[in-house]
Amino acid sequence: MVDVEKIRQLIEMMVANDLVEISLRDGEEEVNLRRPQVVSTGTGMSVLPAPAQVSLVPPPPMTSAPALPLSSSAKHEDLIEIVSPMVGTFFSASDPESPPFVDVGRQVQPGTVLCILEAMKVFNEIKSEVSGIIERILAKNAQAVEYGQPLFLVRPV
Amino acid sequence: MFRRILIANRGEIALRILRACREMGIETVCVYSEEDRGQSYLEQADRAICIGGPAPKDSYLRSDRIIAAAEIAGAEAIHPGYGFLAENAAFAEKCRAGNIEFIGPSAEAMRQLGDKAAARDLARKLKIQTVPGSDGVIDDDTEMLRIATQIGFPVMIKASAGGGGRGMRLVRERDDFADAVKQARQESQAAFNSSAVYLEKYIERPRHVEVQILGDTHGKVIHLGERDCSTQRRHQKLIEESPSPGIESRTRKDVCAAAVRLALAAKYSTAATVEFLVDAKGRYYFIEVNTRIQVEHPVTEMVTGVDLIKAQIKLAAGQPLEYTQRMITWHGHAIECRINAEDPEERFRPCAGVVSRFRAPGGPGVRVDSYAHDGCRISPKYDSLLAKVVVHQPTREAAVQSMARCLEEFIIEPLHTTRGFLREVMSHPDFVAGQIDTTFVERVFTRLASEPVRK
Repeated sequence: MVDVEKIRQLIEMMVANDLVEISLRDGEEEVNLRRPQVVSTGTGMSVLPAPAQVSLVPPPPMTSAPALPLSSSAKHEDLIEIVSPMVGTFFSASDPESPPFVDVGRQVQPGTVLCILEAMKVFNEIKSEVSGIIERILAKNAQAVEYGQPLFLVRPV
Repeated sequence: MFRRILIANRGEIALRILRACREMGIETVCVYSEEDRGQSYLEQADRAICIGGPAPKDSYLRSDRIIAAAEIAGAEAIHPGYGFLAENAAFAEKCRAGNIEFIGPSAEAMRQLGDKAAARDLARKLKIQTVPGSDGVIDDDTEMLRIATQIGFPVMIKASAGGGGRGMRLVRERDDFADAVKQARQESQAAFNSSAVYLEKYIERPRHVEVQILGDTHGKVIHLGERDCSTQRRHQKLIEESPSPGIESRTRKDVCAAAVRLALAAKYSTAATVEFLVDAKGRYYFIEVNTRIQVEHPVTEMVTGVDLIKAQIKLAAGQPLEYTQRMITWHGHAIECRINAEDPEERFRPCAGVVSRFRAPGGPGVRVDSYAHDGCRISPKYDSLLAKVVVHQPTREAAVQSMARCLEEFIIEPLHTTRGFLREVMSHPDFVAGQIDTTFVERVFTRLASEPVRK
């Protein structure tokens, strides 16, 4: 069953960031969206982008819609970007003495704790919603991160 | 004084606050939603932090993320601007609990004056005339009808938790009353999550006269005079001016004094605006208090020379008022026009898109507050205020002429805006004569005065 809400969010994000193409793979589901280029008409009309065309790869049922905001990056065609769902400080481990939750090369699945994001003295465990292997860790320990900031690149398996 | 301030707002007011902070040598952090990413006013901040998705409830209303942003950026205070969380007492408390100052009143003072019914109670205690009405919120609809009959029709049903004209119903005939109460309760529930309503006598053709006050945390309050905001459409202000062209100096003295007394009684600090209706006989009635800086604050800045944003910041930092009442003087006449990205020909439908040409007017005594520029994207997700044009001249006549010229000079393409409509108002004999009341726009521009298309 296609998640129309997710498609709608992707379209909104494309328009907001003026993207022409997005490709997203989440497990066995793949979504490709392409927008015609926006042309300035210079007339007295409000200029709004034309609606996106959607093509879907026929699919097995998708996993539940992620609470984490979806990435709009088109650079990492085959990698999934996990971005921050909040504003706070990134911690790679549960405390300064412990080893990091994940390293590059580590296999993760939905539920694996990836990091901690702290704000206002509340420590939030951020769990993966995808299966894959950590390809890159994009935030440093104790770094301040904003909403939507990329934290991890995961190669899906 | 604060070293660093976080601005929890967007658009023209964010830019206004940024400018004040920069002039005071205060570092700035500005939050933004994904919808506002790339807006050029953000470049004026020392740091900008994304706090969420396009919808206000996912970003500008997210108090947790805003406070977290202040934390990670090391901001000592948050300026909430207007709208969004500016009059949210819980947010003010959360900030202070997190050791971050909220640039506004104490939560207590905000609650005392921000809640319309509570403010009316306080006004009555202070013998400040309020509009005759129910003594507070009435839950029983039969009781409401009894009071309405007692007050005498026409009456206004108003939402206690409301603002911006929503949850309000005007009832002229007794027969229409029951339905109107139901509708007002429903609208209020949907907009403000509360169906509490109260009643007021409806005053025919009143002027909307509001008083700007400043208060410090040392018990002092002063007023900076009044603004006349009678040119409204559906309770949304279009044009504001100071001084008010149609009130006696006795009335001016009285409303300003009443405003100060009210603020003192509530131990109010920083900036607030106390609103009154003034009828044709010069009788004034207290309506409500806005416990924040207002859109139209530049009007008062022009006639008094006082920078209200800087004053807010200093007062929030605990400094005593740097002005005594005697030190405030008024010069000339100022008028502000709000130019909205709306199409007056299409019932003021909001317009979104990219501004291709933006040429603001200039010249002596002209001020334009706007975040827009060539290539600026106007989002459909937020309010439609595009620019505020403010003129300051020695006389009202000269100010009206100057504003007419400015509205002609202003180029904003290709979006539909209210610029042309405002230019028409500027030539209308009633406006030129200063004979305006809150029914003026709807009476005179009847072809434009139908149901608004609000988001």
